[in-house]
Amino acid sequence: MNCLDFRRLLLQDPFRNDADLLEHEAQCAQCATFAREQRAQETRLRAMLGEITPPPELAENIRLAVKLDRRGRSRRRVWYATAASVLLIVGATMLSLVTETWERGNMALAQSVLNHIDDEAHHLREAGPVAGQRVKFVFARFGARLNGDIGQVNFAAECLMRKRNGVHLVLPGVQGPVTAFFMPGEHTERVLPVSSERFAGHVVPTAWGSIAVVGEHGEPLEGLAQKLAGAVEWPAPDSGLVGGISTAPLIAQQ
Amino acid sequence: MGQLNEQFDALVRALSPELYRYAMGMCHNPDTANDLVQETFLRAWRSQHTLRDVKTARAWLYTILRNEHARLYERQRPDVRDPAHLPAVPVRGYDASSEAFALRRALKSLERQYREPLLLQIIGGFSCREIGEMLDLKPNTVLTRLFRARKALRAMLEDSEPARVGELT
Repeated sequence: MNCLDFRRLLLQDPFRNDADLLEHEAQCAQCATFAREQRAQETRLRAMLGEITPPPELAENIRLAVKLDRRGRSRRRVWYATAASVLLIVGATMLSLVTETWERGNMALAQSVLNHIDDEAHHLREAGPVAGQRVKFVFARFGARLNGDIGQVNFAAECLMRKRNGVHLVLPGVQGPVTAFFMPGEHTERVLPVSSERFAGHVVPTAWGSIAVVGEHGEPLEGLAQKLAGAVEWPAPDSGLVGGISTAPLIAQQ
Repeated sequence: MGQLNEQFDALVRALSPELYRYAMGMCHNPDTANDLVQETFLRAWRSQHTLRDVKTARAWLYTILRNEHARLYERQRPDVRDPAHLPAVPVRGYDASSEAFALRRALKSLERQYREPLLLQIIGGFSCREIGEMLDLKPNTVLTRLFRARKALRAMLEDSEPARVGELT
């Protein structure tokens, strides 16, 4: 071992006691002095660092910090659980309110259909067929196009249903006149029954709103709403025309 | 307390003093050292499930403390006391001799890459292999850094010009 190797090893660890290291130290006076100085410095360094004593409360503070952390976490868990419960209750209440509102809306729509028929019962007595051009014109006011054959129409007009305008048709039925309402913007998720002492029918959802078909009790209405829906082409919901009407003047109704 | 909690408590009792010394060696501030050790044990407590072997807990805690110290430096420049001055709060076993002040100042002057392995060797008593694992260094690199650290310290303490580290390499 030469002096360079000796000093390198000694500076890596001053207290190493490899045989060849000790042998070189015994043979080289300069390296022996270097080693003594280095070990003395190392001893001072170790003493300086090693004699520092932590404050007596350190361990207790650590335990306390851990306890507080556990409590905090436990409290957070309780808080999260409470928050989740509150959210669940709020969510359920909201859902209930929405459902109730929706149901009320459905009932209100069905009732509005019946009220409208009662209020304009005189249209049920219209006997003569309306010209096809007139029917097309009424639909055209909504941007809709009558493409198919919907049979004889005894009355066709634009009318106000709740807050929106729609198309009011009266068709001849088996038991008596059948009323059909095309109600753009009046959305319903399912088929709604419409029933009163005299009338029965349903409201059928469509992409653009809904169609109500109502006749005398016993009137065969199956498939009629679907037939009507298929015969009329309504503008896309985002065209701005659904639920609204064109500004073209409406010629005399009927 | 469950068995794991008792083990943790034993770790606190056994290792908090040397971790405090290690922290003091890095920051020279008793308050910061106190916080670092507490935070170290708190982090260890929170992730104790990741500790597979209790035998490795010591090196694990040193690593957490070292990371926590680095994190502290990232967030803010902690109040690192000038080792030439007495700490603001009394520290038991604090050597107030002029020789010790010179040593502390020299130690603080060392670059972190040299001071860290030196402290881990002196305070922790870790081998080069263990230090290498903790610092993600090869054992030979650790040896080189230890050599350079002591050489620089020696040069500074001899009141000579800054050590020309690498002279012997």
